[in-house]
Amino acid sequence: MLKIIIPTIMLMPLTWLSKKNMIWINTTTYSLLISLISLSLLNQPNNNSLNFSLMFFSDPLSAPLLVLTTWLLPLMLMASQHHLSKEPLIRKKLYITMLAMLQTFLIMTFTATELISFYILFEATLVPTLIIITRWGKQTERLNAGLYFLFYTLVGSLPLLVALISIQNLTGSLNFLLIQYWNQALPDSWSNIFLWLACMMAFMVKMPLYGLHLWLPKAHVEAPIAGSMVLAAILLKLGGYGMLRITMMLNPQTNFMAYPFLMLSLWGMIMTSSICLRQTDLKSLIAYSSVSHMALVIVAVLIQTPWSYMGATALMIAHGLTSSMLFCLANSNYERTHSRTMILARGLQTLLPLMAAWWLLASLTNLALPPSINLIGELFVVMSSFSWSNITIILMGANITITALYSLYMLITTQRGKYTHHINSIKPSFTRENALMALHMTPLLLLSLNPKIILGFTY
Amino acid sequence: MNPLILTIILMTVFLGTMIVMASSHWLMIWIGFEMNLLAIIPILMKKYNPRAMEASTKYFLTQATASMLLMMAIIINLMHSGQWTITKVFNPTASIIMTLALAMKLGLTPFHFWVPEVTQGISLTSGLILLTWQKLAPMSILYQISPSINLNILLTMAVLSILVGGWGGLNQTQLRKIMAYSSIAHMGWMAAILVYNPTLTMLNMLIYIMMTLTMFMLFIHSSSTTTLSLSHTWNKAPLITTLILITLLSMGGLPPLSGFMPKWMIIQELTKNSSIILPTLMAIMALLNLYFYMRLTYSTSLTMFPSTNNMKMKWQFETKQITLLPPLIIASSLLLPLTPMLSILD
Repeated sequence: MLKIIIPTIMLMPLTWLSKKNMIWINTTTYSLLISLISLSLLNQPNNNSLNFSLMFFSDPLSAPLLVLTTWLLPLMLMASQHHLSKEPLIRKKLYITMLAMLQTFLIMTFTATELISFYILFEATLVPTLIIITRWGKQTERLNAGLYFLFYTLVGSLPLLVALISIQNLTGSLNFLLIQYWNQALPDSWSNIFLWLACMMAFMVKMPLYGLHLWLPKAHVEAPIAGSMVLAAILLKLGGYGMLRITMMLNPQTNFMAYPFLMLSLWGMIMTSSICLRQTDLKSLIAYSSVSHMALVIVAVLIQTPWSYMGATALMIAHGLTSSMLFCLANSNYERTHSRTMILARGLQTLLPLMAAWWLLASLTNLALPPSINLIGELFVVMSSFSWSNITIILMGANITITALYSLYMLITTQRGKYTHHINSIKPSFTRENALMALHMTPLLLLSLNPKIILGFTY
Repeated sequence: MNPLILTIILMTVFLGTMIVMASSHWLMIWIGFEMNLLAIIPILMKKYNPRAMEASTKYFLTQATASMLLMMAIIINLMHSGQWTITKVFNPTASIIMTLALAMKLGLTPFHFWVPEVTQGISLTSGLILLTWQKLAPMSILYQISPSINLNILLTMAVLSILVGGWGGLNQTQLRKIMAYSSIAHMGWMAAILVYNPTLTMLNMLIYIMMTLTMFMLFIHSSSTTTLSLSHTWNKAPLITTLILITLLSMGGLPPLSGFMPKWMIIQELTKNSSIILPTLMAIMALLNLYFYMRLTYSTSLTMFPSTNNMKMKWQFETKQITLLPPLIIASSLLLPLTPMLSILD
């Protein structure tokens, strides 16, 4: 794993020592190379995990997330070039350093064996993200957004630290490789109920669960494009990944403790999808759509069946790529009109037809059109929740309908119809932007040919 | 101040603390405390204005009271054990009085009221000595009597200190008061673990001293004592703003910076001793501290705080030399991976 971590750390000296006209080229190229190396991890030969050392391992759940993380860094760098073009050189280098630091922590989080190490790196991802949101965001609301982001996550995760340490006292070790074999049922007691709550709340806040999702629209909207991309694509999946790992140790309390969170998620996905229909702010719409998709992942993880785990993993990867692409598209609008209001930039298909093709593809994958992996994820989750309880099909069906509704609403508002007269002088799409969208879409489409690599460890 | 006099006074302060830390006779310890107290009064009054005089008077009164309480505890201990050697204090009355006296010296709640006012009234350098060096002597005595301290009293004081340190700092814009409340909260963390594992108290003290030293050095460099004047550093020395950001996040206890290490270790020790609610509560309350550190970073490094144009053209005197700043920065932010080396502290 050091073959990925050390090059990512070395991206930081690379930016500081590069010449002025080479920083973007160097960092994008090398981060693409690193993502090529990480692709080899997708070869998971047997049912067991690939152990690189006592501290790092990769298994069929973490490998796709790792590949997504490393794939996203060059995309983030490409997306940030425009809004940083007017900044002084040192600030550009600082921005890229923050992204590289965040990338290092994310890679180490996804491959950590020891759960306390996972926790420390989980918290460590907060600091660069906070700096990116508050320092490089554009409106005054970003200060509030940063505070909400930081404090929601910290209040949720400090009990997790205490819970992990008390589990370490009980079982002797928190090394993930050992726990899989040592696992025993948690005895039934009040303190174990609180232990369950303490373990799960951190990830619930991160996912986010419907009642605790207040930080997400603020943070996503106020962050610059790279911040939004990494937040939507990876940081939310940290919550899902953590939940998938830690629910292994939390049986049998999950059988009854999961009910309130299942209810909140099932209701929440409908509510947040419905709110999307009434949004005026484009990024806010995409943020609420993230909450809705993640609510599906929470439902899948809490049901704990093999198919639901497959659906959760597939949905996480698919949503990562789709949501990141939608944020890039929204950002291309923002860079031209400097406004996130949807109705201010209508009828873009007439002016930017190729971008309209990308908008179409992104919206179609967002509403889980077959045969994309979004559909595979959602379908597995719907089927497993139906087997858990027949009534959920009503809610799931309603959610799929409303998702289709708001995705098409977003598409039609921004692309179709007569263009507003004040945007007829916008610049045409840059090759960089088209390449960005293609690089998002290509993995998504290719994965629908071979989805088994993203179906996780229960395949 | 005349350099010779300053040297003599600082040496006396140093010697006082050394006598406290190195003695085995209770009377010598009391003498050390008194020497320390008397010698630090001129340091606190370096700037001769009524504010500094008031601060020094408050400091003198509280510390003298604490020393007298300490003497009473020593005499009770002498009465009941017949000897002057420092060991754990067997008599519960003497132990309680001694704990309260040392808490008064450290600034633990409910004896914390002097800390913000004294720190505010004195210059930055004196505040630095007050909040770091002066904590060493009482903490060393607490370390030595730690097996016999009444757990209820100490834990109550610790939790209340963390609460007061967090809530008290929320309404402050003066940097010295913010550092004072941060000191109260950190003393609370140190006191909480004292009975279970005194080594961690010393670790917390070490990391706290390094972080506070760094913060004060950065404040002295930009000669800023209020949030407003600190917010002008982006114009004068932009690198200082980054250093302030890192150190403040470390003081707030965010991983992966070294300020997280004492909190993590303390939570681990407390959990091993089967108290679960207490460390959770302490950790959540430390977030109050993080809130006002974040507010400080917002105005200093993460935004270009609004300022009028003539503030940007303040006179630039020659750049102050900050001793030891680079190693301090490294120590206060990057020590977390060295956590397994803690075994050398045993």
